[in-house]
Amino acid sequence: MALRGGFSTETAVGAGLGAVVTWLVILPLAAVAIGAATDTGGLSARPFLDVLGSGRIIANTVIVGVGATAIAVAVGGALALTLARIETPGRALLSRLVTVPLYITPLLTAIAWSWLGSPRGGLINLVCRRLLGIDSLVDLETGGGVVFVSALAYVPLPFLLISAALRSMDPSLEESARIHGGSTFQSLRLVTLPLMLPSIVGSALLVFVQAMGLFSVPAVLGMPSGFYVAGTEIYRSLNNFPPRLAQAAVWGLLLLAVTAGLTWLQTAFLRRNSYATVTGKAFRPRMLEIGWARHLLALFAIFYVAVAVVLPVATLLWAALVNFITVDLDLMAFGLKHFRYVLFEYPKTYLAMENSLVLGVATATLGCALGLALSWSIVRRPGRLSVYLDQVSMFPLAVPSMVLALGVLWVYVRAKALPIYGTISILLIAYLTHYLPIAVRAGSGALRQLHSELEDAARLTGASWGRTIRWITLPLTRPTLVATWSLLFILSVQEISSSILLYTSRTTVLSVAVFDLWEAGNVNALAALSVIQLAITFLALLALSRAGRREGVA
Amino acid sequence: MSAFLEVEGLAVSYGPIAAVEGVGFSIEKGEHLTLLGPSGCGKTTTLRAVAGLETPSSGRIVIDGATILDAVQGLSLPPEKRGLSMVFQSYAIWPHMSVFDNVGFAFRVRGMGRERARPAVERALALVDLAGFADRPASRLSGGQQQRVALARAIACDSKVMLLDEPLSNLDAQLRIAMRAELSDLRRRLGMTSVYVTHDQEEAFALSDRIAVMRGGRIEQLGTPAEIYCEPRTRFVAGFLGMKNILDAEIRPLSRESGYAEARLAGDIIFRARDPFASGSAPSPASIGFRPVDVRLETAGEGIAGVVARSLFLGDVAHYYVRSGPIEICAHDRPRPELSDGREVRWRVDPDRCLVLRE
Repeated sequence: MALRGGFSTETAVGAGLGAVVTWLVILPLAAVAIGAATDTGGLSARPFLDVLGSGRIIANTVIVGVGATAIAVAVGGALALTLARIETPGRALLSRLVTVPLYITPLLTAIAWSWLGSPRGGLINLVCRRLLGIDSLVDLETGGGVVFVSALAYVPLPFLLISAALRSMDPSLEESARIHGGSTFQSLRLVTLPLMLPSIVGSALLVFVQAMGLFSVPAVLGMPSGFYVAGTEIYRSLNNFPPRLAQAAVWGLLLLAVTAGLTWLQTAFLRRNSYATVTGKAFRPRMLEIGWARHLLALFAIFYVAVAVVLPVATLLWAALVNFITVDLDLMAFGLKHFRYVLFEYPKTYLAMENSLVLGVATATLGCALGLALSWSIVRRPGRLSVYLDQVSMFPLAVPSMVLALGVLWVYVRAKALPIYGTISILLIAYLTHYLPIAVRAGSGALRQLHSELEDAARLTGASWGRTIRWITLPLTRPTLVATWSLLFILSVQEISSSILLYTSRTTVLSVAVFDLWEAGNVNALAALSVIQLAITFLALLALSRAGRREGVA
Repeated sequence: MSAFLEVEGLAVSYGPIAAVEGVGFSIEKGEHLTLLGPSGCGKTTTLRAVAGLETPSSGRIVIDGATILDAVQGLSLPPEKRGLSMVFQSYAIWPHMSVFDNVGFAFRVRGMGRERARPAVERALALVDLAGFADRPASRLSGGQQQRVALARAIACDSKVMLLDEPLSNLDAQLRIAMRAELSDLRRRLGMTSVYVTHDQEEAFALSDRIAVMRGGRIEQLGTPAEIYCEPRTRFVAGFLGMKNILDAEIRPLSRESGYAEARLAGDIIFRARDPFASGSAPSPASIGFRPVDVRLETAGEGIAGVVARSLFLGDVAHYYVRSGPIEICAHDRPRPELSDGREVRWRVDPDRCLVLRE
């Protein structure tokens, strides 16, 4: 029996994947570009001129992007050095706590901080007025507030990337700097810092792309005081009547141009500045001796966790349980009436929860499948197609999620062939595209660890490609798949930036329901719903760490 | 009747780089062929192309009368349809399965139940001295044991040809020698047909009926171990097999004695050398080669005049480096105290032990 083409199944799969990533990634980005140049009816430069005329908003966007990135990378890098290279008391626990903000959507952090730091009703100001008689100690409903809270939310990204780089650096490089006469500080500055530069630049870019296109934090802390950025401007253009579609697209295109340009610069930079000395191998890092100062650094880490996690979550919990927002201890009473309202009376809760869970499961499952298939083609069948798959599936890293959602909106508002506008599927497509890089990175990491001869041996012993994947590849990459699935689920349940553009009343999701309550000013119900959303997230995290412990042996 | 495994005009390239070019060989049933060569010579690529793990750009492969690859017709069977088995360099033991499941994988793929597969699996495990290991998890095996499981897996499925890709290279030296003997014994008992890839010449000599020495993606010479060792055709094969003295030479065939030639070395030194591959015209460029043990050293008498440049005492033998004008040769002899450094000597090589080598 003759079968044509040695790897016919794989070739077909590869070609199919090429079509899928083009459809998911390239199509919406092209749509943004086309949309930007189209005013009602025909080609026009007017939307461009309108947008370029709003210098104020452009400046605000740059301030938030640069400010949040600078603070997040500085704090994240300092925490990485503190927790990876210094005997900080309690560093095992702190290393895990520091990454928790990754799982809390910036929307909730921003809402909590708006209650804590608004100029009139902010809790900090109320407490200060009562105790110290000072008026308006802090005001977070400003540009500074937006930068501060965004930075808090993004610190874990540089922390994770830089500590990974620190751990995979051969400690003998630094030791030899010491032996040849360098002080601790000198060897850090002259040897370690340059070697960490790729991870520092990489994480800075990652944060910058997200901060530039951020919607939730500027919406909560900026809009009330008239501080607008590109993200909120896209939202306002689309919620205007009639919607100013072209204007939104121009904002999207502008963001895209900046982030794509920076990504290109980063690639050029890495080509010159990455060294093979930072390998994938894990070394035992050498600890820096800094004496009593390590206690101060531990305090710094604790302070970050307090400000980014404990304080916001505690505020949300308190607001969900208290009868109404007040600092007067005599008036305070606690109960579950807001939960009762949110769960049994507020009409959107069940719909939003159902949609979010369905989307979470679907995004995680399809994302893992697509990620594994893509990374298999990329890692195991190197060639021109795999380079295309690799690059295109990484594109979304350079695209703010709002811009991507805008493109998706554009494509499906008019697509007669695929009438999914107004359904949950359009959200699924946006989520899948946005999280594609995470799924592909995780998959290729796992596959690179798996010797290809394990698969070859199965083929030689008579298993078809499909069976080889099912019996060999899937079981051996399961720990990674479980972790990726949970991460995608958590991120999807929290997603707001693309949801806010794509939802309809039938397809509302948890984050959007929270945002609706915030706009309506229903503070306590909002807190109760946020607490429910957080609970779902932390249950998923708990299940993940349980699964991780069980799979740990494999 | 044609051979059991026949490979013709095989070529594999990675982009513009040709890894294998025009490789061809054939093997009889029960024969054991070794592809021998330094790293990067294309031996593993050739093996993987036979297995179906690489996609050749041209070539034809026939096993037992069935064509499994024919680039002209665009026919290429996927690896699982070729009826082969393979022992991988990394062993490729699946860590999430037991020893039994690893060895019995071929039966599971064919839809055969565990109980029906059991006799074959246990027979294979007994052959590699792992009887009683069936239910162990594969992740709890030592390197040597993993090697045996990989071998058992390849034996169990009754393949037409067994492929072995440097199977001993990850073992430590002692274990390697023991496994080599076992492997040789096993293949004789089972009468298996196999293609073996290695860069270790001792392994190749010990385990092969025939050896194909490869270089730069081509087969440089193919023959029995004795032929390859005694009559290397080219300078590369001679050097790879440890012929230490290789000297550039101008060759002139001797009309009186066919099979012999006159070689003129640098410094007008004239030699008589054997040319088993003589074909009328003289090869050029060419060289002659001889082994250090075949050099006769005398303090006086006939032969080429030279001076002992340096010597190395190694116990049973001593290595003498002798300079004669522009050339230097190495001779291995029993230690001779009179041959101190600077001593004038005469040396010669029996023409039957001195070979004409082509480029």
